[in-house]
Amino acid sequence: MTERLTSLWLGIVAGWALYWLLSGWLASAPAAGLGLGLGIAGVHVLRESRAVTGAVAVLEPVGVVLPLLVLWHMARASGLALPQLSTPVLALFLVAHVAFLAASMGVVRAEPYRAGYAPGPVAVLVLAACGIGWVAGTPLIPVVAVAGQALWARGWGSSNWFDHVLHATLVPVAAIALLLRLV
Amino acid sequence: MIGALILVLAAVSLGLSLWTRRRDMPLCWEFAPVEPVDPGGAPLFETVLDHAADAGQAHSPSILVTETGFSVLWFEGSAEAQADVDLFAADIAPGPDGWQASAPGRRVTRADLGRAMEPRQMVITLGNTIEDASRTGGLLATVVSVGGWAMASVARVAMGPDGPVRARKLNLSPMLNRSVLVKSPMVAYADASHGLPAYFEMGRMHGLWVRCDAAGRVRHTVRMDGPGLKPIQPMVVPLGPRVAVALLRDFDVNRGRLLVSRTTDGGQSWSAVTQTTLYNPSSPVAALALDERRILMAANDDEGAAQDLRLLLSDDGGNSWRAIHRLSGGQGALRYPMLRRLGGGKIALCYSHSTKGGVRAHVMNRAWIEAQDT
Repeated sequence: MTERLTSLWLGIVAGWALYWLLSGWLASAPAAGLGLGLGIAGVHVLRESRAVTGAVAVLEPVGVVLPLLVLWHMARASGLALPQLSTPVLALFLVAHVAFLAASMGVVRAEPYRAGYAPGPVAVLVLAACGIGWVAGTPLIPVVAVAGQALWARGWGSSNWFDHVLHATLVPVAAIALLLRLV
Repeated sequence: MIGALILVLAAVSLGLSLWTRRRDMPLCWEFAPVEPVDPGGAPLFETVLDHAADAGQAHSPSILVTETGFSVLWFEGSAEAQADVDLFAADIAPGPDGWQASAPGRRVTRADLGRAMEPRQMVITLGNTIEDASRTGGLLATVVSVGGWAMASVARVAMGPDGPVRARKLNLSPMLNRSVLVKSPMVAYADASHGLPAYFEMGRMHGLWVRCDAAGRVRHTVRMDGPGLKPIQPMVVPLGPRVAVALLRDFDVNRGRLLVSRTTDGGQSWSAVTQTTLYNPSSPVAALALDERRILMAANDDEGAAQDLRLLLSDDGGNSWRAIHRLSGGQGALRYPMLRRLGGGKIALCYSHSTKGGVRAHVMNRAWIEAQDT
């Protein structure tokens, strides 16, 4: 199942890149649909190619966060009334994520990544994410947290919940999104 | 509407949490009993494998204990971390005329391992690989898909008769699961589970004590770290149900000291890593317990001849050491030793020789070790 999910996640992310290209010629909704279709089919067909096996090697574990963010973004662009993360929440996320990665690399004694292996801490973290979503007025954070918990509990993908709901590539993505909003 | 959706999600999360809590099996934190090594009859020390790479490097040999004897497995290619490195092995077993080694051959290729990966992915090069003691014939391989050793991951590999059949990376780092490597053998716990000594090489280097569940998924990690030090490649030696000593390499070659950390709670926590008085040229050591006090170690501890590997004994759980035997490196260094217990009171030692130019293996017994200690 990890193999199928990874291919699907990668196809969705590839579909997002195609959506950006296609949206120059097509309206958002058809560009999103066509981009997703082509992305998922393309990854399936080219699964054994160096490009796709290399992408899997670099990005794995993909988790649910990247594909859900991509789908969220394309759904909003296609006209669905989904709330986006506010600028303060995005800034807080960026700071917290950078601190989390730094701590996990041994910069400080704390080992936050370790909490993602155990049911108790994960239960608390997911409920906290639901609480943050409630306060921020967006279901995106709870959706990612609970979807990640479901996959983690089922044993699909990483054995650490953080790998399902965070991804190192989100740091530059969030930084660029924040810059675009502030400029 | 949004509030209701979040409440539903929170309820789903609670259900998932209850389910995972009920399925959760607590980890055992008691090491397997330390069985004293038998004397093993007449003193024995035999060279059973002496392999030189045709070209390039052969390095980081490890010992896989088998039903009939053991295998020595190493990585070989034009140079370490290059895209032509595969895993090679030789099988060694006792025969009517002493120990016999099979011809060294390719055991795991990068392409085969990439195809066996779940999810399938590119493998550019291979590094330190050890026996996965939790399943017969299994390996824990250091694999690199992009970059050098600091971008490595640890893959748990199930082997078939023709090579890897299934492999999956252990989830040990949020940095794209990168920068974790293995070197030293796993350690058994009383419930037949195992602890895995690993290390993190990106940013602030440190050792890691890793626990996995029965399915081989990581359940817990503990950092082994010390202020101002770069402790990597922990070699863990249990000395009692809750007590173990970890001997670590300092990545900083200028300090020139072997590092140490200890646990008294079965590995749930490790003391701050500190320097020992033993010289070490930033190279890993191998060690095993001969009984609950006595430890045998193979180390490059001679400051005047750092290319030599010496066998040392400790009678006090690793506090003090005395050299009992020297293996001369000559013009090239002897590095990356591994020691494993075999059946019948025998011990296997392997290491790379000629500064990564080949691998060598010996079989010895306790009677020979005791005879050197006079």
